[in-house]
Amino acid sequence: MVDLANSFDTEWTETESTAAKSWGKIKIGREAILSLLIFSVVWQIVSLFTPPYIVPGWQVIFEKMVHLQPHQIYITVGRVVLSLVVSFGLGVLGAVVMYLFRKLESYILPLIKLIMAVPVICWILFAVLWFSAVEFRIFFILVIVCYPVFLIDLLDALKGVPKDLRDMILSFRPTKTQYIVKLLLPATVPAILTSWKINLSLAIRVVTIAELVGAVSGIGFALNIAQANFSVAEVFAWTIVLIIILLAAQVPVSWVESKALRWRL
Amino acid sequence: MASLTSIINVDSLRKIYVQSDTSTRVVAIDNLTFEIKEHEITSIVGQTGCGKSTFLNIVMGLEKPTSGKLTVDGIEPYKDFNSLKGKLGIVFQQDRLLPWRRALDNVKIGLEVLGYPREEQIKRATEWLGKLGLANFLNAYPSELSGGMRQRVALARALCIDPKIILLDEAFGHLDEVTASKLRKDFLELVHSTKKTAVFVTHQLDEAIEIGDRIIVFGKPAKVLADIRVDPSIKEDQYKTQKLRREIQQILDKNA
Repeated sequence: MVDLANSFDTEWTETESTAAKSWGKIKIGREAILSLLIFSVVWQIVSLFTPPYIVPGWQVIFEKMVHLQPHQIYITVGRVVLSLVVSFGLGVLGAVVMYLFRKLESYILPLIKLIMAVPVICWILFAVLWFSAVEFRIFFILVIVCYPVFLIDLLDALKGVPKDLRDMILSFRPTKTQYIVKLLLPATVPAILTSWKINLSLAIRVVTIAELVGAVSGIGFALNIAQANFSVAEVFAWTIVLIIILLAAQVPVSWVESKALRWRL
Repeated sequence: MASLTSIINVDSLRKIYVQSDTSTRVVAIDNLTFEIKEHEITSIVGQTGCGKSTFLNIVMGLEKPTSGKLTVDGIEPYKDFNSLKGKLGIVFQQDRLLPWRRALDNVKIGLEVLGYPREEQIKRATEWLGKLGLANFLNAYPSELSGGMRQRVALARALCIDPKIILLDEAFGHLDEVTASKLRKDFLELVHSTKKTAVFVTHQLDEAIEIGDRIIVFGKPAKVLADIRVDPSIKEDQYKTQKLRREIQQILDKNA
């Protein structure tokens, strides 16, 4: 029996030549650490020769970070999580319905593509104009941007389930629920995880802009205040927080991926 | 054999595919009529692309006949799809294992669909994998198994629901001869010991003769060119099997 798992591991280790550290499934290579270090040093050197309102030094940025209001982080993260969960539910429902009732797809898909073609900033402006409740505004923007990604990715994945496997399971004459639970959903797990990764990154970027334009709380709002106060160091501090949130958000997805896709070797 | 009841009845069966882009009609099955009796092992041979797999798909109820009638145990499989639940098992040319399920879970999928209790599922699936020499690979993913092992899992998956009829679609065709020969022997032993009806589709004449009590030769498109009963005694006689092989080859060549 060929041990594919080991052969792939060996190949990876040899070609990458890195002492990679596993963090979930995010691998931080020696080269990545080195390039980040070089960037940090260059930044610090540049900060010595430029005014702090253009390039603040690391010390100033970290001092600002210590004094950031953590509740703004909780608010933003809470908005992202709630909106993504709802978007995912809607996406799964829409994709399964469109897959099972193919005629509906011809009617619904053009609308979904239309929604996806509208720039995010337009949705933000529509939300500000249409809704007075701040929370609903943010929720609406995030759902309208993220839900189509889940739907389209999942629908494509459902259509991509090989006919061979569909015939195999049909040969046992399953019920519709069994067909979905035993074949369609597991077969689409890789696509679901990929769309979560895409949407996590998308949602964090979108929520920041949405909060910047149309909210009175959250990281986007705090960025707005920092900009109004001309506190460049605070803008950078919040930016680092956003990057950390984004990277941290990938960890549970990568963990689920490593558990759910063990069979992929 | 003559006293046995017929279990698969094929009457003037036709299957025509119409290509959606060009509207070209392709006849896959042309006026097929024969019957298969209970406990019989029938080999169906024919050239590649002669409609053998289409025939099996119609038997399984996965495709609708264009005209004519095919019944399994008195039931039309496509029209009355669910009535044959648990009665048919199929082993495809490719193993078609679900890559995210371990060997044991792949085998028990049919039992899950049929609603067997969980303990019974595990017991039966373990037994069948054991019978097929995979007792040590219950928890292996398909990607960790060789082609022959995967095909054994597929065989176990089809047999463990204890179907009345088992269909094999070039099931050993892509395996090396040593593995295929071992699997053929295992399969024959299992079918004989469990007294199942088996339909074995292949394009390899030696395989058809080794397995079948009877050989139906398909033309292209599928129609019966010959229906040959195989005397079990000739299977041990290389000269006689080669003679039969030549006869079938001539029939196929004449209709090529």
